[in-house]
Amino acid sequence: MTLFALFFGIVMGIGSLAWGYAQAGLPLFARWIAFFGAVWLVAVWQRWRWFAYVGLLFNFLAAALGLWLLNLSPGWMFAGAIGGLLAWDLTDFSHRLRFAASDEERRAFEMRHLVRISMLAMLGFGLASLAMLLKFQFNFDWALLSAIVAAFGILQLVVWLRKRD
Amino acid sequence: MSRAFIISLLTFALLLTGLTVLRGSLLAMAIPFLLYLFYGILFAPDKARLDVHRTLSAERVSPQTPVVVSVSVTNCGETLESLAIEDVLSTALSVENGSNHHLISLGKDKTFNFAYTLRGPRGGYALDTVRAEASDHLGLLRSFQLIPAFGQLFVFPPVARLRQIPIRPRRTRVYAGSIPARTGGAGVEFFGVRNYQPGDPPRAINWHVSARHEELYSNEFQQERVADVGIILDGRQRSNIYAGGHSLFEHSIIAAAALADSFLAQGNRVGLLVYGQYLEWTWPGYGKLQREKILHSLSHTTPGISQVFDGLQYLPTRMFPPESQIVLVSPLMEDDYLTLVQLRARGYQVMVVSPDPVAFEEGFLPSQPEVRLAARVVRIERELMLNRIQRAGVQLIEWNVSQPFDQATRLAFGRGVQGSRK
Repeated sequence: MTLFALFFGIVMGIGSLAWGYAQAGLPLFARWIAFFGAVWLVAVWQRWRWFAYVGLLFNFLAAALGLWLLNLSPGWMFAGAIGGLLAWDLTDFSHRLRFAASDEERRAFEMRHLVRISMLAMLGFGLASLAMLLKFQFNFDWALLSAIVAAFGILQLVVWLRKRD
Repeated sequence: MSRAFIISLLTFALLLTGLTVLRGSLLAMAIPFLLYLFYGILFAPDKARLDVHRTLSAERVSPQTPVVVSVSVTNCGETLESLAIEDVLSTALSVENGSNHHLISLGKDKTFNFAYTLRGPRGGYALDTVRAEASDHLGLLRSFQLIPAFGQLFVFPPVARLRQIPIRPRRTRVYAGSIPARTGGAGVEFFGVRNYQPGDPPRAINWHVSARHEELYSNEFQQERVADVGIILDGRQRSNIYAGGHSLFEHSIIAAAALADSFLAQGNRVGLLVYGQYLEWTWPGYGKLQREKILHSLSHTTPGISQVFDGLQYLPTRMFPPESQIVLVSPLMEDDYLTLVQLRARGYQVMVVSPDPVAFEEGFLPSQPEVRLAARVVRIERELMLNRIQRAGVQLIEWNVSQPFDQATRLAFGRGVQGSRK
């Protein structure tokens, strides 16, 4: 089940990005993205777990650059980034499942994790799309406020992580 | 690099880029990543407080005997959503039934019990750690612990029961035993005739001799006492060959265990020296406790390489009482001959039990004319060396390891021959 979801994540992420780039009249980019997707699938087959990190970064950069520099359709780009995140998460999860002693243990954890990650992905996609629908004027004041909040958030996170260690 | 760190990095990169270039879509794209990160942080586990107990159905077993290991894990802290537990085992041990690792959710004050069966080859194994990894729902933040849970398993070499091994060291100890002591006294075997002494029982009087002389003579019997026996196990890598994934050293171990058991059962004082990568010395002793010590030593001994102990010339003979019995268990190398002669010259009675390396290796090679010819040449060389050793007064048992060791010793001593080769 996890493997199926993992394939779905890769195909969804790579397919969305490729489609988004192809629709914008960049078929060469789309082909390269599709080629990368094929390599990722081979990596899954070969159990190269490290490749999931490369895949996440690739999807992330392709989506971010598409949004920023090429002004591509946000829906496809969000789906691409979320697909990469899903595939990265599920690669690690499938590795963690090696601890499961029986099929029952495995199935119980798979079901719970897949439900959670799917909900998160859908919620993330929904909120991101909603944010795009509810466009508001993003002026310097908002940017400054967001930057302060982000910096505070980072600080809190670092303090919390250091405490944990 | 932590998974949480990577997601944080990507999220904040998106946020900062979006803020810098004033691009709302980039900020919106950060939302799924932020959700993922916050969900992980929200359910991040505290440091797991686990209490682990392990019990083994047996701690001392024979090779490949199944042992049931039961592990009990109690969560003394907060609920752990995802807990990966692994009872850390040596790679030599194999798990048969059940599993030594589990992925579970463990509530507060709840206990999880699991059991599995393992078996393994000869060796001493410490089962003293349980690895626990608690994480949040998504496995984003993890806390890893090695929890001590004491346990140990000794897989002793199989001990073949041998009939009495005849040895005759020049010097024995004072206690009564079964080794002929080369002195007259109370015993079973006839030793000699001496003048009658007051106190001699009438049945000890040798009437035939007394009739021919004017005075009485008494029969004297050979005293039987216990002896000092030093077993030397050759653990040199170069003499213990490997073939077909098997080591000849394992056979040497079996021989040493059987000999130690037999000598101790006769009441002798037995010590063990493993001569290999270093000297591993088990002090001489008597009885069951000593048997246990020797088996412990043999359970974890492995052959090794040492430049110092490459030849037998550095054998520390001072460890063995003068004129005692030495039993060398070794496949033997060409240059060992001189050391054996020197041991004899110093007054030791020397017995060599030699697992046959030629037959051992040949058994794993294809039966081709070239192989047979090579084996024949090597066997002739070995025969010559063994003949020289026997001529030096060394008691020799050559053991073809395809047959059981007790059978080999029975054949060697069955006809009252002091050492023979089969």
